Amino acid sequence: MATKDTTLRTRDRVATTVLYVVLLLGLLAVAGPFVWMALSSLKPEREIRDVPPTWWPETVTLDNFRGLFSRLDFPLYFLNSALVATLVMVGNLLFCSLVGYALAKLRYPGKRALFLAVLGMLMVPGMVTFVPQFVLVSNMGLTNTYAGLILPFLVGPFGVFLMRQFLQSIPDELIEAARVDGAGEFRIFWRVVLPLCRPALATLGILTFLASWNNFLWPLVVATTEDKYTLPVALALYSVGENERNYGLLLAGAVVVVLPVLIVFLVLQRHFLRGIATTGIK
Amino acid sequence: MRSRRLAAAVVLAASVALTGCGRDSGGGQDEAKSVGAGKASGDITVWAMGTEGEKLAEFAKEFSTENPDAKVSVTAVPWDAAHQKIASAIAAKQTPDVSMIGTTWQGEFAKSGAFDPTPPDLIKKDDFFPGAWDTTIVDNTSYGVPWYVETRLIYYRKDLAAKAGFPDGPKTWDDLKAMAKGMKDKAGAKWGLNLQPGKTGSWQSVLPFAWSNGADVASATKLSFDTPEMTEALGYYQSFFKEGLSPTALPDGALEPGFVKGEIGAFISGPWHMGIVEEQGGAGFKDKYAVAQMPMKKSSTSFIGGSNLAVFKDAKNRDGAWKFVQWLGKPEVQVKWYQAVKDLPAVQSAWNDSTLSGDTSLTAFGQQLKSAKAPPAITTWEQIAAAFDLEVEKLCKQNADPAATAKAIQEKASAIGTGS
Repeated sequence: MATKDTTLRTRDRVATTVLYVVLLLGLLAVAGPFVWMALSSLKPEREIRDVPPTWWPETVTLDNFRGLFSRLDFPLYFLNSALVATLVMVGNLLFCSLVGYALAKLRYPGKRALFLAVLGMLMVPGMVTFVPQFVLVSNMGLTNTYAGLILPFLVGPFGVFLMRQFLQSIPDELIEAARVDGAGEFRIFWRVVLPLCRPALATLGILTFLASWNNFLWPLVVATTEDKYTLPVALALYSVGENERNYGLLLAGAVVVVLPVLIVFLVLQRHFLRGIATTGIK
Repeated sequence: MRSRRLAAAVVLAASVALTGCGRDSGGGQDEAKSVGAGKASGDITVWAMGTEGEKLAEFAKEFSTENPDAKVSVTAVPWDAAHQKIASAIAAKQTPDVSMIGTTWQGEFAKSGAFDPTPPDLIKKDDFFPGAWDTTIVDNTSYGVPWYVETRLIYYRKDLAAKAGFPDGPKTWDDLKAMAKGMKDKAGAKWGLNLQPGKTGSWQSVLPFAWSNGADVASATKLSFDTPEMTEALGYYQSFFKEGLSPTALPDGALEPGFVKGEIGAFISGPWHMGIVEEQGGAGFKDKYAVAQMPMKKSSTSFIGGSNLAVFKDAKNRDGAWKFVQWLGKPEVQVKWYQAVKDLPAVQSAWNDSTLSGDTSLTAFGQQLKSAKAPPAITTWEQIAAAFDLEVEKLCKQNADPAATAKAIQEKASAIGTGS
């Protein structure tokens, strides 16, 4: 008995070690570039370009960050980005879950066709609709306005699809029980269904916030004066030239841009992981 | 299943129909209109990229001093996506009055009918370097004004060149080859000469050799990449890789440190590299390198790049826009602009100013600019260039036959066409 126990225990230990090694390697591959980015943002340009690349800065400098804040109106761009990304996220949470609810739980003629239309939209690549969308927005007189930056992204086929799939897993009995108790349709949605959707909402929130925060092309084209630029657009302004690149400025900018995304992710990560698990099964 | 496909098809068809309605006019038969006399007035909106976008607003204040009723509003646009932004703006008729335009985009945008033809009574063609002026010409009409220029020269380490037996740098094709060899064999450099082995923009390194050999690769209507001159130039370019004088896989960013350390003896690049190597080389490095004209074969012809300024047809303030463009093209303003951002003047007489004529490296660029050439402003150039770069990569890295490469480029380019 005793020997069996020890072999089992050794096998366990080996398995754990292997697991840790694999996880550590994965972590290195994922976190390595981030760490290098953060460390290199503190290096002078010459050191960043060293071949082979180095990890620790030899001379620590804040010049890159100073350049970032002195050459760019950083607070303005940061606020623009935060405003746009937050509103886009809130809009998606509200509208995608509303539409998703109607597609998953309500009964009315043409529902199937509507859902197919949503699926159809999922298949159209963004670049195809880019120019027509811009022409539309400019015909509405919304170029260079916050509305032009936000409105086109308030609801998206992916979000609707995600919410619809998740909502389908909520038992009809719950909704029927609420209906029997005399709750109106919106009350059912708001009080009964939505609280159950937290994992899906967290996932959708992170994904839409991230997409909007990182969006480059749309704000670049819609904003015609610099005061409406968002962070990614502003960062590209002076760090990338026609024939040369200022890596220091680029890295310092990337560090600052990544921070809010990290915070949003850390706050929502518990729900996010559950959300991925659920949607993965579906 | 069928209805799902139908739904997708409907959505696709709708988006195609929407994209279709862009601009209608074809351009080409435009008549240049003159610009009213007197001072400029009103709001003039300008888009500019990179450093130009950063510095132009401050610089333009002097224009407003001369024209008190005019106000210049500059929007800085990132280089990375400027092409996309301008193309979208044209489609939606949301253009500014003036924009900085990369020389190789000129054909594409002018053909779409977005640009106002250059008024000849306001802007004088002969003021500019001929190669630069040619980049504004589409279908025999000029659609813009050269703003600044750049050209490519041979950067070489003086100490290594002296050891290789060429203290004054290379003068001919044979010199360049012998110098690269000498730098490697006698002076201890790892690589004699860095040449771009394919990838985006390598045509800018290859074409100067073709032009110097008398090859005329493309005009507005005809493409001729498969000439004996072109084949010979490709063979010469390839020989540097075959003989191990040029690296085929230099990591991004390794060129400058390699040059500073003396591992790379020479390379071909534009004026911006002076600042980069002097910064990386530290104090005194300015004396350790020199720049030489492109080596002679039948001629010494380099590539001319830079940017133009174009006024849009949808400009709200056409008169003011052209007056601002004219002001930027004045010789004294061009010199001041060089002092502000180090952009080389496109106006020839600006080079007589002591700021430029006093610097030997700069005068080398000025000399080369007189004969430097650009590809014709045809709509499809960016596509042809991409195909060209791909074939160059096969030539340098996979040892493709130069004649076959020339033929392959010609075939691909003909399939793309000149767009006219």
